[in-house]
Amino acid sequence: MSGWRARRPGAVILGAVALVGATIWWFGAAWWTEGQLLRADPNGLPADPAMMRFALPRGHAIYDGYCATCHAAGGRGDPVRGMPALNDSDWLYGAGTPADIERTVAYGVRSRHPKAWNLAAMPAYAREVPSPTQALRPLSPAQISDLVEFLTQLQGDRADEKAAARGAALYAGQAGCYDCHAPDARGDPAIGAPNLTDRIWLYGDGTRAALYQSIAHGHAGVCPSWLGPLSAAEVREVALFVYALSHQPILATAE
Amino acid sequence: MSDLSISATETRAVTQGGRRTLILAGIGATIGLIVAGFGLFTATGTSTLVVPAEDVALVNQQPLSRLDFIAALQSSYAITLADATPEQRRAVLEDMIREEVFVQRGRELDVASVDPDVRAAIVRSVEEQAAAPAALENPPDAKLRAYFDAHRDLYATEGRMIPRDLVFADATSAAAALAALRPGEESPAAVLAASGGRDSGKVEGEEFYFAAKIHLGAALFEAARLLPSGGVSAPIAADGVHVLVMLRNTPPVPLPYDAVRGRVLDDYRRDAINRLQAREAAFLRKRANILLAPDLR
Repeated sequence: MSGWRARRPGAVILGAVALVGATIWWFGAAWWTEGQLLRADPNGLPADPAMMRFALPRGHAIYDGYCATCHAAGGRGDPVRGMPALNDSDWLYGAGTPADIERTVAYGVRSRHPKAWNLAAMPAYAREVPSPTQALRPLSPAQISDLVEFLTQLQGDRADEKAAARGAALYAGQAGCYDCHAPDARGDPAIGAPNLTDRIWLYGDGTRAALYQSIAHGHAGVCPSWLGPLSAAEVREVALFVYALSHQPILATAE
Repeated sequence: MSDLSISATETRAVTQGGRRTLILAGIGATIGLIVAGFGLFTATGTSTLVVPAEDVALVNQQPLSRLDFIAALQSSYAITLADATPEQRRAVLEDMIREEVFVQRGRELDVASVDPDVRAAIVRSVEEQAAAPAALENPPDAKLRAYFDAHRDLYATEGRMIPRDLVFADATSAAAALAALRPGEESPAAVLAASGGRDSGKVEGEEFYFAAKIHLGAALFEAARLLPSGGVSAPIAADGVHVLVMLRNTPPVPLPYDAVRGRVLDDYRRDAINRLQAREAAFLRKRANILLAPDLR
């Protein structure tokens, strides 16, 4: 008993030292791995299972805390609020590589950060001044309807042929849609202009009424700049998680 | 005497205990030094010789971000970091370093005090930074609904109309045309032919209210706005005598909150941005020591 009492303080101190050492080792290992994560080419990371195993659970937690409020759990998005889905292969900005996603997470979209994506916004053609930055003329109700028919036809749905032809002329002419959405209407990921030929809609459900609303009232969605609130490592971790949302096998393997 | 004597075993125990204490104290001190050193040399703003993992270089302790480096590689060569050659990496890094040293030199020279472009860019940047919190605010639904209720007149369908603006030389021919039109039996074209009037051509087909207002002018638009579909106005004297025939008038219809939530959010944010920027300007003025010349006080 007396021997145990004599050994006890040493054991407690040793235990405490071991605990502190383990904590330092744990933080040190995480810090070192974070360093490796940051120094690596972001586009090459998905092929590194060890790094993905490290990054994805952290990215998942960050996503749930910061991104899910708008983009919904699992990256489903919310077309009512114009929040893009992140779990498909359709990317508004860039080509959906980890580096592209990381840039969007870091600097945002129309976030007022000087490096944010902020080159264009959808004009509101039913307003006297459709765009504050571009010299565009408003459209009449009939012209907006013609554009709607043109877009409906682009989807492969039945549309009023004559109205669609007028809409096509407006698209390529007075309305200036081609300037952002490209002459073939397949969008431009360099400025975040959506592809209008697929059936993926950022706002609404692609019905005539929803299209009319978008053309008439315009859109300019925002995404915060997270570099600051999140560290560079956290930005990369959440970017990798978002990338994995649209590459489910990676997500399944790593998590 | 025997009570005070220390046995060999006890002496060994004391010696071992002292050695153990020293070792533990040494380990503790080492751990403490490691933690302190780590904190000291990695804290933000600390002068360091180690380039942080998130950066590619430090220029006078000013970091050049790896993120920007990758973006610059992509925009310069359309290439990823892994695919870039050492020469490409070096070229991009050299450009970034060159820019940074020039920016730092610019600060030393205080170019903002003389260069209007730099001044404008700084003003814009500060305004944007002040606006950022409001631009990204995600207010709860209750707040947005309250805003919607307070600005209900803003949230309606766009009013639309198809008016015809008939112009007559004098009140007599306008009155004659009006008499012919009111029964609704004659078309405007026939009335115009009979009374010597003409269509002003200001309005083409269906127009939004704002467009009709621009085309007709405020006075004629106000009269047109009140006409029901199929209605005819009284003669209006304004650069000739006008009679408005309203073929179709679709006044604005108030929209429910759910249909315009996105617009409400945009407007809410815009107002918040304006408030924040005004507050920022007021704060900066308040803390500034501004002396005005006597003739401008």
